[in-house]
Amino acid sequence: MPERARSLVAIAVSLAAIAVVVVGIMSTPAAEQTAAERVDSLSALIKCPFCNGESLADSGSGVASDYRALIAQRVDDGYTDREILDEFAGRFGPSFVLDGSTNRWSFLLWVVPLAIMVAGGASILAMRSSAVGREVNTP
Amino acid sequence: MIAVLGTLAILVALGAAVSIVIIGAINAKGGQRSALTIPVGVFAVSAFATFVLLETAIVTHEFSIAYVANNTATTTPIVFLLAAGWAALEGSIVLWGLMLALFTFLVWRRLSDTDHLGVVALAVMGAVSVFWFGLMATVGNPFAVCTEAIGGFCAETSWWPLSDVVAPTDGRGPNPLLQNHILMAVHPPMLYVGYVGMTVPFAFAIAALVRGDVGREWLDRSHRWMLTAWVFLTFGTVLGGWWSYEVLGWGGYWAWDPVENAALLPWLTATAFLHSAVVQRRRGMLQAWNFILVIATFSLTILGTFLTRSGIIASVHAFTQSTIGPVLLGFLAVVVIGSLGLFAWRARDVSQAPRLDSLSSREGYILANNLLLTVFTFAVLFGTMYPLIVESFTGDEVAVGRPFFDRAAVPLSLLLLLFIGLGAVAPWRVASRDVMWRRLRTPIATGSVAAALVVVVGVRSVAVIIAIGLAVFVVAAIVMRFVAVVSSRPEGFGVAARKVLRNDPGYWGGQIAHIGVALIAISLATTNGLAIRETVTIDRGGTAVVGSYCFSYIEPFAVSEPNREVTGVRIEVLDRSCSDVRKVLEPRINAYPGTSQPIGTPSVWTTPIDDVYLGIAGGTANSVNLNVFIFPFQWMLWVGGFVVVLGGLFAMIPRPSRTARLETSSIGTEPGAADA
Repeated sequence: MPERARSLVAIAVSLAAIAVVVVGIMSTPAAEQTAAERVDSLSALIKCPFCNGESLADSGSGVASDYRALIAQRVDDGYTDREILDEFAGRFGPSFVLDGSTNRWSFLLWVVPLAIMVAGGASILAMRSSAVGREVNTP
Repeated sequence: MIAVLGTLAILVALGAAVSIVIIGAINAKGGQRSALTIPVGVFAVSAFATFVLLETAIVTHEFSIAYVANNTATTTPIVFLLAAGWAALEGSIVLWGLMLALFTFLVWRRLSDTDHLGVVALAVMGAVSVFWFGLMATVGNPFAVCTEAIGGFCAETSWWPLSDVVAPTDGRGPNPLLQNHILMAVHPPMLYVGYVGMTVPFAFAIAALVRGDVGREWLDRSHRWMLTAWVFLTFGTVLGGWWSYEVLGWGGYWAWDPVENAALLPWLTATAFLHSAVVQRRRGMLQAWNFILVIATFSLTILGTFLTRSGIIASVHAFTQSTIGPVLLGFLAVVVIGSLGLFAWRARDVSQAPRLDSLSSREGYILANNLLLTVFTFAVLFGTMYPLIVESFTGDEVAVGRPFFDRAAVPLSLLLLLFIGLGAVAPWRVASRDVMWRRLRTPIATGSVAAALVVVVGVRSVAVIIAIGLAVFVVAAIVMRFVAVVSSRPEGFGVAARKVLRNDPGYWGGQIAHIGVALIAISLATTNGLAIRETVTIDRGGTAVVGSYCFSYIEPFAVSEPNREVTGVRIEVLDRSCSDVRKVLEPRINAYPGTSQPIGTPSVWTTPIDDVYLGIAGGTANSVNLNVFIFPFQWMLWVGGFVVVLGGLFAMIPRPSRTARLETSSIGTEPGAADA
């Protein structure tokens, strides 16, 4: 197969496949989280008391399954995720919510790595441009 | 008696380590290898003796030694007795010392007769050894004798081996978690070889800075040591994940626990170094950066040990809490401040040669991934330390766990995959758009088709679709590159393939490891994004359907073993219609005497499509609460991990000399092919 034909086939196949992916994702309406899924994601966010730092989702202990049952109860009763998290934070302390959302400085968790990413990316770009500049300067 | 001999061995090793430092320093100008023969020999023998004596004390149930009484019992099976030699704090320091002595000896063996850099590097290793054996001789003495026993537990100990000793009749036994599975005996020593091995590149880097000899030599000499350490660290981490999965019963293998992060952090920086070292060797760039990476890697191993052993962070791994925390923190401060100070002092000599001809080049993509690995390291380090930082500045309590780390890791890992694929096929210096497109058009099409297939079978999670598409793209890019390079040779495919691999084991080993990474990515996506997790209650004789399986509760059972009481349930796994028995699983719960918390052991059935994972969550006389997990392609995680290790091992095969390479090389090899 000549080069040009190979390229065209590759482009056609890739575009067709990507179209399938996009249509597939768009045509499925974003499903509401089921109650069970909410319980799962909340359990992953809450630290299990007396379990060495494991979350309610990760711990196999009886305490953890008791609290998972409590979360299921709260979800059934119509509490919001935030209300449930705040209840646990209030009962055991703010360090029992594992995503750091109880602390106002927690945005730093994202800002600091992003800043490093930007600074590092800039210095890589600088490495290139200085090389280009030198090439221009040296005969 | 053993306590006396053990204490003596520690003191002799400490003395030998001190003399390695002194003789190495005095001898720095002459660089005579022979001057260090005796101290290195004595150090190796006494460190080995320390380890053997501790194991002897454990196996002979010498309960007058506090460590033996507090961590073993007469009923402990022999494998876990031996493993107890490193399972708790003091023993782990002994194993650390043994590994350090082994590496010191191996480095010494490879010195040439007059070796200026090598002699100073050995002195640095001696200095690190002084610290560890100093710990053993003081706050972490494994041979401290028991002077007051309460039950099987030694409440009071004495450093002086000839004190009036009390020997409990039986010990307390190991932590139940540590005697539940054979992998527990294997995974920590592997990690330790990895951790301790990272001392060697550090020693060469510091020696180069001290001597002001900051050229390529230290890098050439430490690359292989770092690779060795990295292979073990990788292997240990994979085994640790496997252990967690097989033993802990929560159905996971990675929890972003501080101690897991402690193993991941030096792994990330070491991985970055293995790549950036190649860039320096090929293109003369990144000298300063390589020093930073090696210093960071070593410092992170010490930080990891501090996090594991100080009890400062609550963790399932923090099996011991003790007074060595502040000492480790002090050592960490000395290492970080000392090496960065040294680096700053020599900074002018470390030439920066910023010659990046094009962003699209092998070195350009490696740089991009170095940046991503660095950001990954920072995100994990900052997330792990954040609660400590916030608490010490504001007094507020906060926790950062899995939710943060997962969210940060997914985009970083996807970008890493993308650049792995690009970097694997890109030539050095400049990768023109034309060359890249020719090498990547088929992999791009293959990856897109894979993503489409994933959507067609019903998956809608965007992260899972992208991860699988990218992973397939990476594998296709590497495989096609290999086929292209091999086919361009005149010989038959088999002969040509062997020659291509043999001519450049560094590059192809790396690509094997990248294929392993892609397999891991697929498994991470499917086991996180497509897992089924349910807790079901089944009456005896009844059934429950989860996913495409039916579970039938046959009967409970109980077994008495020497060190534990086992109770379990027999569960038949049937097809969805509950008619065809496919497998019988027996999840169980183990109760160990002397501890209140029973340990569950899950039962796992691995099929080519998924893992069926059962754990007991509770139950009554006539029913059982079962955690039922179904993880698609779980096996691919372990296979991927072992492929990464295999790639690392392959990369260690020495490259043939240039002449030998030219002899087997041929005309048709494409530029930038076998030249990593």
